[in-house]
Amino acid sequence: MEMEGSWLYLSAALAVGIPALATGWAQSRIGPAAAAILAEKPELTVTAVLLIAIPETVAILGFVVSVLILLQGGG
Amino acid sequence: MILDMSRIRVLGPMEELQPVLERIQDLGLVHFVESAQTDALTQLVLTPHQERHLRNVRQVAEDADTAINLLGETATLSRRTAESLTLPQAALIAGRTRRALETLEDRRRQLEEERSLILKFQPFFSTFEKIATSGLDLDGIRIFYLVLRVGGEQELLRMRAALRSSLGEGFELFSQPAASGESAMILAVSAADAQRAEALLSEAGVQPLVLPDQFREEGAIHTIQRMQARLKELPQDLVEIEVERNRIAAERGRDLARIQASLHDHLATITTMEKAVVTPRAFVFEGWIPSAARGELERRLQKSFGGKVEVERISKEEWEGELAPVVLKNPRLFRPFEAITRMMPLPRYGSVDPTPFVAVFFPMFFGIALGDIGYGALLAAVSLGIRFRSRPDTKLRAVSQIGLACALFSIVFGFLYGELFGDLGHRLGLHPIIFSREEAVVPFLGLALALGVVHIVIGLCLGAVNLFRGDKRHAIGRAMAAVMVVLIALALMAAFEMLPGRFFTPLVIALLALFPILIVAEGVLAPIELVSTIGNVLSYARIMAVGTASVMMAVAANRMAGAFGGVFVGLMFALLFHLINFVLSVFSPTIHMLRLQYVEFFGKFFSPGGVEYQPFRHWSPREGAV
Repeated sequence: MEMEGSWLYLSAALAVGIPALATGWAQSRIGPAAAAILAEKPELTVTAVLLIAIPETVAILGFVVSVLILLQGGG
Repeated sequence: MILDMSRIRVLGPMEELQPVLERIQDLGLVHFVESAQTDALTQLVLTPHQERHLRNVRQVAEDADTAINLLGETATLSRRTAESLTLPQAALIAGRTRRALETLEDRRRQLEEERSLILKFQPFFSTFEKIATSGLDLDGIRIFYLVLRVGGEQELLRMRAALRSSLGEGFELFSQPAASGESAMILAVSAADAQRAEALLSEAGVQPLVLPDQFREEGAIHTIQRMQARLKELPQDLVEIEVERNRIAAERGRDLARIQASLHDHLATITTMEKAVVTPRAFVFEGWIPSAARGELERRLQKSFGGKVEVERISKEEWEGELAPVVLKNPRLFRPFEAITRMMPLPRYGSVDPTPFVAVFFPMFFGIALGDIGYGALLAAVSLGIRFRSRPDTKLRAVSQIGLACALFSIVFGFLYGELFGDLGHRLGLHPIIFSREEAVVPFLGLALALGVVHIVIGLCLGAVNLFRGDKRHAIGRAMAAVMVVLIALALMAAFEMLPGRFFTPLVIALLALFPILIVAEGVLAPIELVSTIGNVLSYARIMAVGTASVMMAVAANRMAGAFGGVFVGLMFALLFHLINFVLSVFSPTIHMLRLQYVEFFGKFFSPGGVEYQPFRHWSPREGAV
């Protein structure tokens, strides 16, 4: 039972952790490119912010899945 | 909404060209465009004399702009008065004032630089002065002023040892700690040993202090004394500059403001003139005006020029909608949210203005995510602060009003969730009305996704409305997609027993029946588009994710109060954590809710590419104010 609990928590952690890492990696690539664009065209600020925010969906969906795993596991 | 525009043509005799433009400028509603040329109608070309005049006007306007910028806040802007200055008079005033202010500004900058230079050296000089005035006989002696960095004891020892082995007893070294923690030192050697001493200092890694150029030749003690005297004089010198600047502002500020306004108006008139097409006797202008204001323009021109000037409406069949400038006109309550719409390119003329929808959904989503009476009240206080510090019709004022709307929704949803600084509300007797976000994660997720369905369906319907005028087949496809999203949502509810299970099969059959129509209307890529739309709906889960993170952080902050030994320390930690959470809880929903508007919602209907409405009107110093 204890082992099952550990797997549950590990699954939940991975469900949010891996997408968060992926989001971080994607943002690390988008961020410098967005900064470079803004240096030349400051009027594209909104586009740049949106481009940076787009990968966050993955982390957020990971968070939702993680919460659902915990809730399902908890009965 | 986007105002209905009329394309007009203004015709009149050449001798009335400038007066007509002046009347139109007074009204300030006509957006001129380049007029179409024909064999008979050619573009108005400025004569060499007019070109020269234009260059002069530009130069004087630049002088006035620079002078007013240098005067800063002290520039007083007068109303336009009947009396007017000639261009040479204006040039004289603007040119002289600009030169006087630039001289003052240069002098002020020099004095500031001098002061910061002296302040940089001051801690060492006060120390050197104490050493140097202690009765040394300086004839035939070379003095080195040295600064030893903090913790530079090793350098000092190395230097002493090197000096002793090279110069024997032929040197004196005084050191005294300065206020900065560094040590000020004076090394005195005979003039004959100066070169050797310099080399030794360099080897020991100790840098002599380099005096500012303007003080260098005066000798150390005099330099110190003079610098200290200058430090006392500088504030007075700066005050004198400020007094002189204020005198100029009082004397010429009103004239400058008048010159600036009238010359910018004049420049705008000349630039607009170049958009006219003319015959030897007549001129023709083309432009846009809000349809509701066309009658007013006709009345004014009729009153001023009788029947000599004609305003003609160009029928809609003769122009394309994309060319019309876009004027967003919304009720007062929605107007601040135009700032959010305007962060994207303007919507195309004839399409839907998303501002009213943004004004409802953005603060609502924000409030659902933040949902806390305490944080909402704090946000309201911050927004009110910004409101009182901002000027009307500026971006900052719009931000404050959007902040207030978000705060209001946060407080309302705070009541519904029973949250006041997290779970503090529960402890004080507040009870959740709809659900507690700490426990009811799944209902919260359901609420977020339901809102997503509503928002996306509205977006798809607006898209259908936008497309209906041009491409009816795609409009039907877009409407079909909206219906299918609703059917999918209902089918899922039936599958999860939120609706009676018997609805499931008819809903799936309806979906399958609509599928071919969707493909015919939107093409073979329509199914992929539909899946992407479902993905867009799932994206609204972020409302729940951001909201849950916010409430959990607040709960953690409250627990800190009891988790540390002392009540006071715990309370301080809790307050600090709440403050951090407040900042994060305002920033994060703002970004995410903006994204929901721009990516998920706008993506379904928004057609950018609208032309900015730039009416020909009187110049205003507030243009571009933030």
